[in-house]
Amino acid sequence: MYVLYLILYGFILTAVLGLIASWIDRKVTARLQYRKGPPFLQPFIDIIKLLGKETLIPREASRATFVFAPVLGFGSVLIVSTLLWANNNRLFNSFLGDIIVVVYLLAIPSISMMIGGFASGNPLARVGASREMKLLLGYELPFILAILVPIIKSDFSLSLGEILSVQAANGAFAGYASGILALIVCVAVMQAKLGLVPFDMPEAETEIMSGWMIEYSGTGLAIFRLMKNMLLFTLPFFLIILFLGGLNLSGIGILYSVLKYVVLLVIIIVIRNTNPRLRIDQAMRFFWGPVTGVAVIAVILALIGK
Amino acid sequence: MSLTLRALLKSPWVFHLSTGSCNNCDIEVLDCLTPRFDIERFGMLLAPSIKHADVLLVTGSCNRKSAIRLKRLYEQAPKPCVVVAIGECSLSRGMFIHSYNCPLPLDKIIPVDAYIPGCPPKPEAIIMGAVKLIQKLKGTL
Amino acid sequence: MTREEILKDLKQRFKEDIVNFFDKSPKRVYMEIKPESLVKCASYIFKELKARFNIASGVDSRTAIEILYHFSLEYINLLVSLRVKLNRNNPQIDSLAPVFKGANWIEREIHEILGVDFKGHPDLRRLLLPDEWPKGVYPLRCDYTEWDKNAIRDRGV
Repeated sequence: MYVLYLILYGFILTAVLGLIASWIDRKVTARLQYRKGPPFLQPFIDIIKLLGKETLIPREASRATFVFAPVLGFGSVLIVSTLLWANNNRLFNSFLGDIIVVVYLLAIPSISMMIGGFASGNPLARVGASREMKLLLGYELPFILAILVPIIKSDFSLSLGEILSVQAANGAFAGYASGILALIVCVAVMQAKLGLVPFDMPEAETEIMSGWMIEYSGTGLAIFRLMKNMLLFTLPFFLIILFLGGLNLSGIGILYSVLKYVVLLVIIIVIRNTNPRLRIDQAMRFFWGPVTGVAVIAVILALIGK
Repeated sequence: MSLTLRALLKSPWVFHLSTGSCNNCDIEVLDCLTPRFDIERFGMLLAPSIKHADVLLVTGSCNRKSAIRLKRLYEQAPKPCVVVAIGECSLSRGMFIHSYNCPLPLDKIIPVDAYIPGCPPKPEAIIMGAVKLIQKLKGTL
Repeated sequence: MTREEILKDLKQRFKEDIVNFFDKSPKRVYMEIKPESLVKCASYIFKELKARFNIASGVDSRTAIEILYHFSLEYINLLVSLRVKLNRNNPQIDSLAPVFKGANWIEREIHEILGVDFKGHPDLRRLLLPDEWPKGVYPLRCDYTEWDKNAIRDRGV
C-alpha cells in the first residue's frame, strides 16, 4: 500500500508537476527577455535524451560514490514528497516528529550534490562543492528558526497533520505578523536551496563550468536534473503546508490551491530574473545577518502570541 | 528511429569550441543565442561542460597545439555526438592553407557532420545549417 | 620637450651610432642604428625620455635579418622605431630583457621563429611553437621548406 503511494504520489505526480513547473520557469524567463521559449514538452524530452547518452566516469573519481550520489539525492526527495502528499491528502496518519524528518531529509539533496562534486576528481567540481557546503551552513540556521514559528503557533506540536488542522480551524499562519515574516525568510532560503540565481554560485556558472555537475553525463545527470525539478515542486509545497494551509483538492478549492502554488512560483521566477549572482561571502553574510535577524523577530512575535 | 535519438534531435545541447580562430565566428555563434535569433525555441541550450554536450560547434583553423586538445575533448563528449564546422577556417583552413602551423583540415582530425561556410557566417546561415543537420540525421534530407 | 628638440637631441647624442635617420611623418620616425649600440640607445629612450616599449618586430629581407623595436612617446604623439640589421648566417644581438622586462617574451618569440640569438637573455625557451617542432627550423625565414610529411596542402578540388 505504502509502495503504491510512493510510486504514484511521490514519484509520478511530483515529477510531472515539477517538470511542468520547470517549463513555466523557462518560458517566463524567455518571455521576460523578449524571445520565444521552448515548447511545452521540453523538460521531459531533456530527461529522455539524457538517458540515452553514454556515461563516462573519470579515472580519478571514486567510482562507487560517484554513481551513488544522484541516487541518494533522488531517494530523499522521493520520500519527502511522499510524506508531504500523505499529510496533505490524509492518506495515512502523520506521526509525531515528522516535521523534523522532513527538515533532515531536505538537507540531503544538498549533501548529495556535495558528495557528487567531491567524488568527481576535478578541481572545478571541488570548488563548486565547497561553495555548496558554505551555502548550506548559511541557510540552515534561519530555515530552522523560521520553521519554529508554525510549530509554536500550533501549540508546540511536532506533526504536520496537527499544523494543517490548526490552520484549517483558525486560518492560515501567513495571516499573522510572525507568519508573514517567517514566510519571507523561507522564500529567501528556498531560493538558495533550489540553486537559483542570486545564490547559484555552486553550479551552472560560466566561471567554474557548472561546478559540481561538471563530470556527470548520461544517466547520472538525468537523475540529478530530475531531482532538481522535483525539488522545484516539493519546496514550495512544503511552504504551502506550513504557512498557507495546504492544497485543498476538492471542488472549488482546486483553483485556490493552484493560485497559491503559482504565486510562490512567480515570486521565485521574478527574483531569479532580476538579480545578479552573489559571491559566497556576500551570501553567507546575507543569511547570517538580516535573514537570521528577521527570523528571530518572527519567533519572538510568535512566542508572545501575535 | 529510436526514442532517445528522436529526443536528441529535439533537445541538442550546444558546446562551443574555438581552436584558434579570430573570434569573429564565435561572436556570430553567440549572436544566435540572443533574443533576435533565439535558438532556445528549438530546445538548444549552451552546455557549460563538455560532458553535457550533444553538438560540438568548432570554429577556427586547427593548429598543432590545439589539435591535441581537440582530440581529447572529442573523446570526452558522450556519444552520440555531432560535430559542426563553422566558418571557412574550419572547413579547409581558408587563407591559412599554406601556414606552417596548420597542417591538416578539421575533418582529417575528427569526423565532421555538417559544414557551414562563410567568413563569418550570418546567424541565419548557422540556424539553417542546424536545421539541415537535423533533417540529415532524421534521414529526410 | 617638443618633438623637434627630442629628435635633435637624439641625433646629437648618438651621432656615431646612427646609420640612417628617416623622418617619415609627424607621428613616425625610423632610426637605424648599429647592432652594438642597441642597449645604449634603447635604455636612453626608455629611461630618460620616458617612452613606452610597444613591441618588437622581425623580418627576413633577403639581404639581412632586421629587427625593429617600437617605442611610443605618448605625450607628443610620436612612435620611434629602432632598426638593427643582422647578418643572415649568424644573427646575434644583445638582449634587452635585463633592461626592461617587457622585452622578455617577444625576444623568445623572435628567437624561435627567426632564429636570432639574444645574448644575455635569462630564459630563452620556446614560447609558441609546439614541443615536437624540430630544432633549427625557423618558420618565417625566406628559405623555410615544408618538413612535415603528413601535411595536406591542397583543397582537394
